[in-house]
Amino acid sequence: MPKMLITALTPAFRALAFSALALCTLASPPAMAGESEAETCLRAKVWDGYNEGWGIRTMTSSELAEGKTRNYLVTLYKGNEYQIATCGDANVAKLDVLLYDTDGNVVTRAKDVNREPKIEFTPEDTGTYYIVLYLREVVSKKHAGAAMAVVYK
Amino acid sequence: MHKSVSTIVLSLSLAAFVAACGGEAETPEVVPEPAPTEEPAAAPATPDDPGLDMEALNDAENVALVPSPVETQKALEAAGIDTQLASLIPDHKFDLANADTDHAALRTGVVLADSLLTVKTSKKEVLLGRLDQIRQGMTQLGGGKDIDATLQDMRDRVKTDAVDREELLKEFDELSGAVIPELKFNDNERVVPLIEAGSWLEGANLVAKAVKDSPDTGAADTLLKQPAVVDYFIDYVREEGADKAPATVTEKLEASLKTLKELASKTDPLSADDIATVIQVTDDVLALL
Repeated sequence: MPKMLITALTPAFRALAFSALALCTLASPPAMAGESEAETCLRAKVWDGYNEGWGIRTMTSSELAEGKTRNYLVTLYKGNEYQIATCGDANVAKLDVLLYDTDGNVVTRAKDVNREPKIEFTPEDTGTYYIVLYLREVVSKKHAGAAMAVVYK
Repeated sequence: MHKSVSTIVLSLSLAAFVAACGGEAETPEVVPEPAPTEEPAAAPATPDDPGLDMEALNDAENVALVPSPVETQKALEAAGIDTQLASLIPDHKFDLANADTDHAALRTGVVLADSLLTVKTSKKEVLLGRLDQIRQGMTQLGGGKDIDATLQDMRDRVKTDAVDREELLKEFDELSGAVIPELKFNDNERVVPLIEAGSWLEGANLVAKAVKDSPDTGAADTLLKQPAVVDYFIDYVREEGADKAPATVTEKLEASLKTLKELASKTDPLSADDIATVIQVTDDVLALL
C-alpha cells in the first residue's frame, strides 16, 4: 500500500514521502512505524476524496494507549459538509471518533467502531467543537498508531 | 528424593526464566511524549462516550482548529455570496528580506492563503512569484531541505506547464494542511501558529471585503465569528520567545486580534460598522508585512 501510494505522487512528494517512510519504518522504533502505517492509510483516503470534491483542512497522526483519547479543537463552518476520517494501524481492534460541543455534549459519533471510523457532519451554525479520538481496544500491544483528517466540501 | 528436589529446582528455574523474559516475544516499545489530553477513560461495554470532562476537553490540541482559505471560500458560497475571494487580493508589497520569525511566518501565511485561493486562475508568473516567496519564507524559518525541494519541484513543473492546476491545488492543500504543520522549524513552536495566523488574517480581510455590501445576510457572522481561533493566535503572540518581530508588529498584531476577538464574541449580528472594523484592523497588520 505505501509503495503504490508513493508511485502515484509527484516526484518531489515521492521523495518527501519516501524519506518520511524510510525514516519512520527503518530507523524509528515500532511506535512510529504504527503511526506511519495509519498515516499512509489515511493519506490514500484523502487523495481518493479529492476526486469526489473533498478538500483537506488538516491531517495528523499520533500514538494512543488503549482506553485513552486524543482530543482536537476544531472550528466548523455553517453550510460546509465535513468528514472526520481516521485510520488505525494493525494493532487497533476498535477505534472510536466522537464530536463534542463546547458544553461537553456529544453532538455526533461514528456509526461503526472499527479500525477506520468516520464522522459525517454538516453544522447548522459555525461553531467550535472537539474531535475525540478514542482507542477502545487493541489487538495485542498496549499502544497503537492512529491518524485523523478533517476534510470538507 | 534427590531427583524430586532437582525437578522442583528445575521447574522453579524455568518459571523464573519465563517470568523474567515475558510470555510473548515483544519488542520493547518506545513510547513517545505522552499525549497532553490523555485521561483515564472508563471501559464501557457498549458504544458510549468516553466520559470526558471539560478539563480534559479544554486541553485539546489546536492542529485542526483553523479553517483553510479554500474552505472559507466554500462557506462564503454556501452563505449565498458568490464573490471570489481571489478577485479581492491586493497587490501586497512585502518586505521579503525581513527574516524575523514572526514577520516571516505571518508573511508566509498570507502568501500561502493567496496561493491557495488563486492557484487555479492566476497567471503563471504570479504563481511562480508566490512560490518563490513561500520558499524564501520557509528558508528563513528553518523549514529544512525537504520542503525546499518540494517547493522547487512545484516551481519547475509550473514553469514548464507540467502540472495542471487541479492537481496543483491538491498539492497546495496538502502542503498547507498536512506537511507544513508537521515541520519542526528548528523546534520553534511559534512558527506554525503564526503561519496559520497570517493565512487566517488574510482570509478574514478578504471575507470582510466580500460581505461588506451584504451586511444583513448573516454571512459575516457565519464566517468571521471564530473566537477560539483568535484566542489561539493571541496566546502565541503574547508568548515570550527569541527572534520575535519588533514591537511595532507584535503590538499591532495583538491589538488587532483583541479587536477581532471582541467582534467574534458579540451575541448580536455583526453590523456594517463591525465589518468595516475587521477590514481596517486586518489591513493595518497586513500593511506591516
